[in-house]
Amino acid sequence: MTAMRLTVNGVQREIDVDPRTLLVHAIREQVGLTGTHVGCLTGDCGACTVVLDGRTAKSCSVLALSADGSAVDTVESLADGDDLHPVQQAFWDEFAFQCGFCLPGMLLTAKELLESTPDPDDAQVLAALNGNLCRCTGYNTIVSAVRKASGCATTCVKESPCRKS
Amino acid sequence: MTPRYSAPRDLAGVTAALADGDGVVVGGGTMVVPDMTHGRTSAAVVVDLSRAGLAGVTAGEDGAVVGAMTTYTDLITSDVPLLSTVASGITGGPQIRNRGTAGGSACYANPASDVPACLVALGARMRLASAGGAREVPAAEFFLGGFRTARRPDEVLEAFVVPPLGGAALGYLKFKLAEGSWPIVTAATFAPTGGPLRIVVGGAAATPVAVDVDRPSVGSDDPAWREHVREAVHTALDAAEPWTDVLAPAAYRRRIAPVIAARSAGRALEEDR
Amino acid sequence: MAAPTLPDSAIGGSARKRDGAALLTGRARFVDDHQPDGALHAHVVRSTVAHGRILSIDTAAAEAVPGVVLVLTGKRAAESAGPVPYFIDPAARGGNRTDIRCLQVDEVVFVGQPVAAVVAATRQQAQEAAALVAVEYEVLPHVLDAEEALLPDAPRLYPDWPGNVVMHNRYGTGDTDAALAAADVVVSGELRIGRSTTSPIEPRGYLASWNAAEGKLTVHASCQNPHQMRWMLATSLGLDEGDIRIVTAKVGGSFGLKMQGHPEETLVALLSILTGSPVKWIEDRRETLMAGARQQVHRFTVGATADGRITALVNNIVADVGALTAQAGWAMPNMSATTLPSGYLVPDCRIELDIVVTNKPPVNAARGFGKDAAHFVMERAVDVVARELGLDPAEVRRRNFIPADRFPYRTSTGLNIDSGDFVGLLDKVCDTVDYAGIRRRQAELRPLGRYLGIGLGFELTPESSDSPGTFVSGFDTTTVRMSVTGMVTVLTGVTSPGGGNDTGIAQIVATEMGVPIEWVELVQGDTDRCPNGFGNFSGRSMVVGGGSATLAARDVRDKLALLGSRMLAVPVDRVEVADGVVRVVDDHERALAVPDVARALLTRAFAIADGIEPVLESTRAYKPGNIDHVPDQFGRIQPYPTYSSSLHAVVVDVDVETGKVVLLDYVMAHDCGTMINPALVEGQARGAVAMGLGSALSEQLVFGEDGALLSDRFKTYLLPRAGDVPELRMVHQVTPSPFTMHGNKGAGEAGVGGAQAAVANAVEDALAPFGVAVRGVPLTPPVVLGLIDEAAAR
Ligand SMILES: Cc1cc2nc3c(=O)[nH]c(=O)nc-3n(C[C@H](O)[C@H](O)[C@H](O)COP(=O)(O)OP(=O)(O)OC[C@H]3O[C@@H](n4cnc5c(N)ncnc54)[C@H](O)[C@@H]3O)c2cc1C
Ligand code: FES
Ligand code: FES
Repeated sequence: MTAMRLTVNGVQREIDVDPRTLLVHAIREQVGLTGTHVGCLTGDCGACTVVLDGRTAKSCSVLALSADGSAVDTVESLADGDDLHPVQQAFWDEFAFQCGFCLPGMLLTAKELLESTPDPDDAQVLAALNGNLCRCTGYNTIVSAVRKASGCATTCVKESPCRKS
Repeated sequence: MTPRYSAPRDLAGVTAALADGDGVVVGGGTMVVPDMTHGRTSAAVVVDLSRAGLAGVTAGEDGAVVGAMTTYTDLITSDVPLLSTVASGITGGPQIRNRGTAGGSACYANPASDVPACLVALGARMRLASAGGAREVPAAEFFLGGFRTARRPDEVLEAFVVPPLGGAALGYLKFKLAEGSWPIVTAATFAPTGGPLRIVVGGAAATPVAVDVDRPSVGSDDPAWREHVREAVHTALDAAEPWTDVLAPAAYRRRIAPVIAARSAGRALEEDR
Repeated sequence: MAAPTLPDSAIGGSARKRDGAALLTGRARFVDDHQPDGALHAHVVRSTVAHGRILSIDTAAAEAVPGVVLVLTGKRAAESAGPVPYFIDPAARGGNRTDIRCLQVDEVVFVGQPVAAVVAATRQQAQEAAALVAVEYEVLPHVLDAEEALLPDAPRLYPDWPGNVVMHNRYGTGDTDAALAAADVVVSGELRIGRSTTSPIEPRGYLASWNAAEGKLTVHASCQNPHQMRWMLATSLGLDEGDIRIVTAKVGGSFGLKMQGHPEETLVALLSILTGSPVKWIEDRRETLMAGARQQVHRFTVGATADGRITALVNNIVADVGALTAQAGWAMPNMSATTLPSGYLVPDCRIELDIVVTNKPPVNAARGFGKDAAHFVMERAVDVVARELGLDPAEVRRRNFIPADRFPYRTSTGLNIDSGDFVGLLDKVCDTVDYAGIRRRQAELRPLGRYLGIGLGFELTPESSDSPGTFVSGFDTTTVRMSVTGMVTVLTGVTSPGGGNDTGIAQIVATEMGVPIEWVELVQGDTDRCPNGFGNFSGRSMVVGGGSATLAARDVRDKLALLGSRMLAVPVDRVEVADGVVRVVDDHERALAVPDVARALLTRAFAIADGIEPVLESTRAYKPGNIDHVPDQFGRIQPYPTYSSSLHAVVVDVDVETGKVVLLDYVMAHDCGTMINPALVEGQARGAVAMGLGSALSEQLVFGEDGALLSDRFKTYLLPRAGDVPELRMVHQVTPSPFTMHGNKGAGEAGVGGAQAAVANAVEDALAPFGVAVRGVPLTPPVVLGLIDEAAAR
């Protein structure tokens, strides 16, 4: 076991890991934040997404020790107490999740996109979401949530009588 | 068995850690870390390049020197020819582009990937370093087969060098089955001013296959020229080791390679205009 | 459609998901998020051969790995655990069965079958040790293809069976031979539906905690059916049901996969009992991907009149269910048979079904539950007839649909369709997609080398099934309880693996009780708290969970109204409960807050509640109508109360040089009766369509000749990603069911078969100039290009 340091959601943590320990397991099991999920451990699904030193990464494909001394922000960092981040709010309003297992990747990549590209077009939204699998929603509502969070008035899902305006 | 972990601070540290030849290099980690998790890769020592200072693109006299740890995201905003556009088409989302490296992709040498054919088309040179010294291998000689390269186990890819274009136009196209699939066939076209085109096809064989074709006299959608490309690509593929993976058999790759090659050439010619 | 002023929380409103904040902030706890102190980790050692006899298992090296607590083999497991009982026992339906064990004892019948398990302090140690368990096999011949498995000299999976057939069944009535002989045209075809899988993003997982002192077992499970799981564990482990608690609070998607019956359920519980510690096992994605969802070959013949009326259908089905499983999956092909001929007036049908085992991992229950295949086949058949007669496929559908005034309508296979308006759906879809306009564009673009196609797919979705003598139950139970403070707790037997029926049920209860939805707490998926129930499957949760919640809520409301009327000194028929008050109907000023009435009943029972039982709680079961298990003169039963329907249209653009299919537009007209929450209905529908599109275009489990799964990650098993799915446009039609509480029908499965059929028809339509005949799904680029080449060679 090797000792290492992580700043998780602004809080400094010291943890012990094995050289093979994945960052996702360190966060979930050593740090104890379970909002970051494990869906595949192959880098394909995106459920393990975190923000590592300011950029999104799939924490199943990062060795914990590679992140020694790094700052990690997880999905738990998005809301401020009971105040949801606008991206979270939009996802809720737009029914952009069902089981919610994919949310870490969806929310954090959406946030990263909107920070660099405040008014993305559809192609940019789709490219940003490309690394996240969702098996429940069929993605349409996720795309409209990202666009809604960007403040874009037009939405992608036409003719849906149920949608809140 | 628990491996040792080493994150050297410089290249010399890396080559020292690899000197025994029983190390596994972790670049961006996007392939190799899952491979370790699933027991597909193991070694006595894990050599993590993330602190070795190998990231970044510098302009050298004989071209752009792309550090092995330069990520796709870094490449997108760089002016490295071809790779800057190819990088934005890498799937897996920003999370993969933020960590994955073109160097790592080259070393992984999956025939069904974007980078190999591009490096060959660009005439890149791979800079390999070991405790015994450094050497450069042309990209065309670097890829030896599916998941096999000229890199020795005690060597690290330090960087690759992309020579100046000299005004050549470029075109790139990849074909995949769905958003999330490995590329099936890729084609990178290098179109030097006035000269014949060099199309390098990836994914259709175990290593990138280079084909030289004349420029079309009419346009790139001229059936006669496309037939010419088709034949040239087929002839070249006949001599190459076929490649099959779970997603597509060799016959399909061979079947569509000329199509993708011609379309890629079309893009280069369009850019040339 | 909802009236504009309707609050979101009412029945028919689009209330947001009630667990939204917990899920969005990462606070929601899925099974792997429970990490009790001292929990050990299990890893399953799986067969590396497709068929073999276990000669020996050497566990010494594994046991020597630091941290390893237990290495369990099948032999030892069999000393402590009996066979896993079936969700649907084939024997109960006259079929062949075999004992399903948590670990195989003597023989293995597929690559990946559990043969041993390792428990260790860490996941890593367990995994490492598992790799060191040395299993020696005598390799036996195997068979991976169902049609080969039917040959007389094929290797047998289960030596005591007469062959490899679980069961052979025949369905349908009428004289198909005579009808075919009389038909103006007779067309035939063969369709292959490839093996796909459900693959929710959360894999399966179980955390079992055995409390030896009390003799009690608690299992946190990613599972759809906690009560059935409790019963199954009680049976396989010889425990009393009362000593087992199953908790399935948050489930990260399921789609049938997490219906119970998996060997690991019994296994993990047993490992906890044997080690005396909590034991957790979370599936690796490679294990999740083994579970098949469907694989069938259909050979059909249809007869039709010259004007396109289909008069007869013959269909022979060979279903490859892999190895037999205690899970419900093996039974799905029955539904492929009985759901034919779908929503069409085809009086004479003969459907022959062989459910066949092969040396592949089992087919597990999957959204669509076999009904999807019926639609794929029927919709292809309709298109083939249209093509043969030179008629438009939309028109042929119109001529054959059961007319809206014929319901309830009993089909040739015995299903009693409650209601619908299929022509209405067709009109809506054709309008929305601009059917005529697409045909024009198609004609314009063909000369330019672009090949557009449009395809239709109708889907009839029998929902909320009941299967006598099994754990497929058509009713469910809910308790509604009001506390002294007026807060409402709803405990229900149905579960929600993500779809949001918890929100819908809360809407129903709030509406029925006349209280704000914020007062309503919902408890699901806990066998110690919830009444006996059957969980989630077959689009049942809003029909029977919602129905039973309605009954229970009305009981409590009636009592509030009665007491309130006394307190207000008016007759009971002059009060109503609404907006959290009991008030006089025509004088809203005279009102009592519901909490005050509740408190009065529970604290002043003898003072003011003479003759009223002082309990604000009701437990009710709801049995919808239309289910009939008494066989009619043809032996047909009627296991479904409601039938949702939908019509799908897809516009594709096929690249004829590569075979790639690009989806340009998608419209689904959907009728699931009354919608309790339209946004959640749409969510289900879109999710199902996306799943259908995946299985139509890219998803396919690929096995090597040795029976090992090759498509074992998401780069080789291609789930749709955001860029693969076009905008899925939804149009609703509401034909209330006469047989359910609110007129609602099941929603959640419709989409898979319709999408597959529409895509297949669209691809064939696009490639009509080449004379291509589609023969199955998935239509991957290599397959499509192969079809073009083949047509050219003809
Ligand atoms: C979800 C997902 C989507 C992807 N999409 C694409 C795609 O669209 N196109 C595509 O081509 N690829 C794709 N890939 C693969 C991608 O190219 C590689 O993941 C990435 O480029 C590899 O770089 P890396 O730095 O992460 O390599 P690593 O995983 O760190 O290493 C890969 C291999 O190279 C070796 N290695 C790495 N760096 C060096 C070095 N400097 N010297 C010596 N050896 C080294 C490692 O030991 C290992 O064997 C995808 C991967 C994922 C997970
Ligand atoms: S768990 Fe990391 S990408 Fe799936
Ligand atoms: S909401 Fe279930 S996977 Fe996305």
